[in-house]
Amino acid sequence: MWKYTLRRVLATVPALLAVITICYLMLHATPGGPFDTERKVSAAVLANLQAKYHLELPLWQQYLYYLNSLLHGDLGASFRYADWSVNDLVAKALPVSLTIGGLSMLIAVALGVSLGIWAALRQNSAADYLLMLLGSVGSAVPSFVLGPVLVMVFAIWLPWLPSGGWSDHEVRFWVLPIALLTLINLSTVGRVMRGSLIEVMSSNFIRTARAKGLPMRIVVLRHAIRPALLPVVSVLGPLAISSITSAVVTETLFSIPGLGKLIVNGASNRDYTLVLGLVILVTLVAVLLNLLVDLAYAYLDPKIRY
Amino acid sequence: MPTLIPKSATESAEPAQRSPWLDARIRFVRNRAALASLLILVCIVFACVLGPLLLPYSYEDTDWNQMGIAPTLTGWHLFGTDELGRDLLVRTLVGGRISLTVGLLATLVSVSLGVAWGAVAGFVGGRVDALMMRIVDILYAIPYLLIAIMMVTILGRDFYLVVLTISAFSWMDMARVVRGQTLSIRSKEYVEAARAIGVPTWRIIFSHVVPNLLGIVVIYTSITVPGVILTESVLSFLGLGVQEPMTSWGVLIHDGANVMASSPWMIWFPGAALTITLYCANFIGDGMRDALDPKER
Amino acid sequence: MQKSLPSLSLLSLLLTLACAAQSAGAASVPAGVALAAKQEWVRSNGAEPETLDPALAESVGANQITRDLFEGLTATDTSGKTVPGVAESWKQVNPTTWVFTLRKGAQFSNGDPISAEDFVYGWRRYLDPKTASQYATTLAPFILNGMDVAEGKKPVTELGVKALTKDQLEVKTPFPVAFLLDLLANTQFAPIHKATIDKFGKDWTKPGNMVGNGAFMLKEWRVNSAVVLEKNSRYWDAKSVVLTKVSFLAIEDSNADVKMFQSGETDMVYVLPPGAYEQLKKSYPAEIKNGPMLGLRFYALNNKDPMMKDLRVRKALSMVIDRDVLASKVTADGQIPAYGVVIKGIAGADVTSYDWAKWPMDKRVAEAKKLLAEAGVRPGTKISFTYNTDQYHKKMAIFAASEWKTKLGLETEMDNLEFKVLIKKRHDGEFQIARHGWIADYNDATTFLTLVQCDSDANDNKNCNRKAEELINQGNQTLDPVKRKALLTEAARLVMEDYPMIPLLQYTLPRLLKSYVGGYFESNPMDHFRSKDFYIIKH
Repeated sequence: MWKYTLRRVLATVPALLAVITICYLMLHATPGGPFDTERKVSAAVLANLQAKYHLELPLWQQYLYYLNSLLHGDLGASFRYADWSVNDLVAKALPVSLTIGGLSMLIAVALGVSLGIWAALRQNSAADYLLMLLGSVGSAVPSFVLGPVLVMVFAIWLPWLPSGGWSDHEVRFWVLPIALLTLINLSTVGRVMRGSLIEVMSSNFIRTARAKGLPMRIVVLRHAIRPALLPVVSVLGPLAISSITSAVVTETLFSIPGLGKLIVNGASNRDYTLVLGLVILVTLVAVLLNLLVDLAYAYLDPKIRY
Repeated sequence: MPTLIPKSATESAEPAQRSPWLDARIRFVRNRAALASLLILVCIVFACVLGPLLLPYSYEDTDWNQMGIAPTLTGWHLFGTDELGRDLLVRTLVGGRISLTVGLLATLVSVSLGVAWGAVAGFVGGRVDALMMRIVDILYAIPYLLIAIMMVTILGRDFYLVVLTISAFSWMDMARVVRGQTLSIRSKEYVEAARAIGVPTWRIIFSHVVPNLLGIVVIYTSITVPGVILTESVLSFLGLGVQEPMTSWGVLIHDGANVMASSPWMIWFPGAALTITLYCANFIGDGMRDALDPKER
Repeated sequence: MQKSLPSLSLLSLLLTLACAAQSAGAASVPAGVALAAKQEWVRSNGAEPETLDPALAESVGANQITRDLFEGLTATDTSGKTVPGVAESWKQVNPTTWVFTLRKGAQFSNGDPISAEDFVYGWRRYLDPKTASQYATTLAPFILNGMDVAEGKKPVTELGVKALTKDQLEVKTPFPVAFLLDLLANTQFAPIHKATIDKFGKDWTKPGNMVGNGAFMLKEWRVNSAVVLEKNSRYWDAKSVVLTKVSFLAIEDSNADVKMFQSGETDMVYVLPPGAYEQLKKSYPAEIKNGPMLGLRFYALNNKDPMMKDLRVRKALSMVIDRDVLASKVTADGQIPAYGVVIKGIAGADVTSYDWAKWPMDKRVAEAKKLLAEAGVRPGTKISFTYNTDQYHKKMAIFAASEWKTKLGLETEMDNLEFKVLIKKRHDGEFQIARHGWIADYNDATTFLTLVQCDSDANDNKNCNRKAEELINQGNQTLDPVKRKALLTEAARLVMEDYPMIPLLQYTLPRLLKSYVGGYFESNPMDHFRSKDFYIIKH
């Protein structure tokens, strides 16, 4: 197990390098540069801007420069937000996204797994359909509709919660964004859990357990749940990654200073360093989460060996 | 010697052989929700394909005197008009054509690619698995906006390009899910048995692994479909998808969401169309999963 | 020349007296208005400001904040009029030389006195190519050697600004600039505390480090969330500043903006979402605000394109668009139809129009059809229209496309691009018709004329009318404002007869402001407000 983990951690480095290189090339190949603005910039200013950010050097030299500063832990200066370094911007956005994405994942998993189990055990009954109907709201109704509806109901008609904005310590700003993300994630987790548990419940060892006369609760919670969770765990990886790093719609609707908005704005502004810095962060998060998911596989299904 | 057991009795005691597909179809039909969903979906498809041909307006006819009116029978604006005076019913149906086609094609491409990738990685294991999954990790980390802008500016604007772009983002989740499931199936007894008796690897994959993946694949496909249709709307909003005056449900809903408070019909109708379609897809997905489950008897 | 001086010096004398007599733009709370106990204003500011360094600030949002943190020689009051800032009085000693006298006791927020040297340092820093301000060349042409300095052709020491004494500043301009006082209200020309920059370098704009001289100080800066300012007690006019705290929230989505206003999170909406004006006007009659702004919406035409290079084609395209329907029905937010490059309310030139603007539409269409036929463009021809992703632009574009189709039979291919890609294509001339908009940088017609001048960086149409150019140059050298106006107006008329682009509408600024926030003037043409002029009424 530990050797496997170590191997995965080491494998991160070439993966990271590959991501940086691809994004780097893509950014520079995309038309429009960071200093293309409505009002044309004079040649002298452009020359100075480019010198400031090493843009006048040939591509491969800039690349090496960038890698070099990376080794020193410096993600570079943002092109667009002249007063901040990329380290600053990323460090400020990460806790926000972690809070919202992380909490919504926890709630979605807790609710989704419960919902899925409940529905699976009452397969094809009215309760099953109803539960699935409610649970699927997050995937059938687009987030840019669900969000404003939540705001209209809970912030404007019933003035219980703020309609947007962010505060590090005031929980009331967290409620609606987390609710939105949770609804979206809930439907995926619930449906996968339901389908997976239904399959497991008809396998031989479960039949044996039931034949033995074990109460349903024990059958499900002690025997069926582990293999049934396997597909759910597979799904959690991508869900968690997108909740934390790509919750753009949520962040825009509620004006939250998170990672998703930062990436999209960075790409629109051709803020090369910011985008690359965020890409690195996303890669690290993705690698970490995927590693956890793979380790979870081994725990849930003892026959899986690496 | 007279036969002790009448021939007819033995013959009638053995049930007629039924193909597993017929089995599945029967199970599917028995699932009320899935059947109803299928019928509704067929109706929607028919409406989208034939409807615009029957209506008096085209999807791009603007009418500056009838801007933003609520649904009304006069002038046959059954769904009302949008803020440029274009009939919403026609636009919803035409938009449906785009959304359904994109949904279908992109899902097809991403599911095929995702299943193939994930099954091979999960089954072969070892270094190949590690490499293939690392590639998925790498592709995952690249911001989709960047890819989308690049693909459009370099390859030009084309409907199939939209499909391609969307598929490019959607296959990776499926690959990962399938790989996980394959890892589990690989260690099952029947696979060990097949290997023991010398069945070639490709045969094992297609005859044993894939059918057992069907359940999770079907479920995840019905999760992919809404994702694909919504990605299309985000792309169109960013200027990278369908061009004006052509529209899609995603675009209509996005525009409608902005004027929700003043012109609710603009979001109700396309929103209902999308939601109903997606719910139907969900139920059909669940129904198919239940129907194709090899253990259901 | 001595000859023309007397009238000018009389004028400047009157100005000086007027300035001294006028009370500095304080928050003039009308008599009988009860103020709230908590004087804190939360306002939306659109996208996150790219910087708070006044020399680098380019966007409207960033400048809105720097206007509260820094103050130049002059400033603008809430109705948009220029008032004294750090400079108490000034004299125009000759057409191209001004001397400003700074008020006694003006300080930076850390107590250090402001001297004329600080202005010299600030201006040199702003135009220094090493500072790499993207906004340098916009205001540089109006200070002597400004353009040469910004382009790196001359050293910063050659810039036409000099400290005569500790509190007397001499400013030289390359030609008589009638609107210099307006120009200097921009915080790009604010005094900068050199010691702070030397000490902190790039980090000088962070809270706790920043030293400014405006009515407010930077208290907190939460990136992508909020910029919070608090009252600067060392500001020379602190006694008339009523607000104690101003929060600028970074809200990008205008719909979210309105929702935050409705739920009480903010007191002001930066700008309304497109199409929402009519409905919000009905729901919030007391809070809705809409005033014309110095901005022009137009479509650039690529004068070098094979089809567009024919004047008849360009004229036809412009003639058939019904700007009245565009203003009253399509955009429906109080915008004014525009038929020329100069817009209503700007100083320095009059609005020009076309003779056909008054014709009935049928006559216009018939004439346009005739022109197209002469030019050899048949119905069914495809034209391409490029615009950037935005609900508002999309709506206008669809209207234009439908006009061109129904009236001229032309098929418009709509090309929706991302903003940066649009700019690049426009600058590089890879378009036929492109959406464009321009907001005035200062209140003078030349800021718009630059759109259609020969060899101008801002001219994407790539048209050139030498005669008009000649008139503009003449106008800039003229001292007599009346004569100047006539020259510039004639130049504008001449250029527009070439139909280099299609002017459409003049911008307005529809927004929502809670009725308990006082001090707002709808007629402020450039949307240059300072928080020091606002106050919260008891509610």
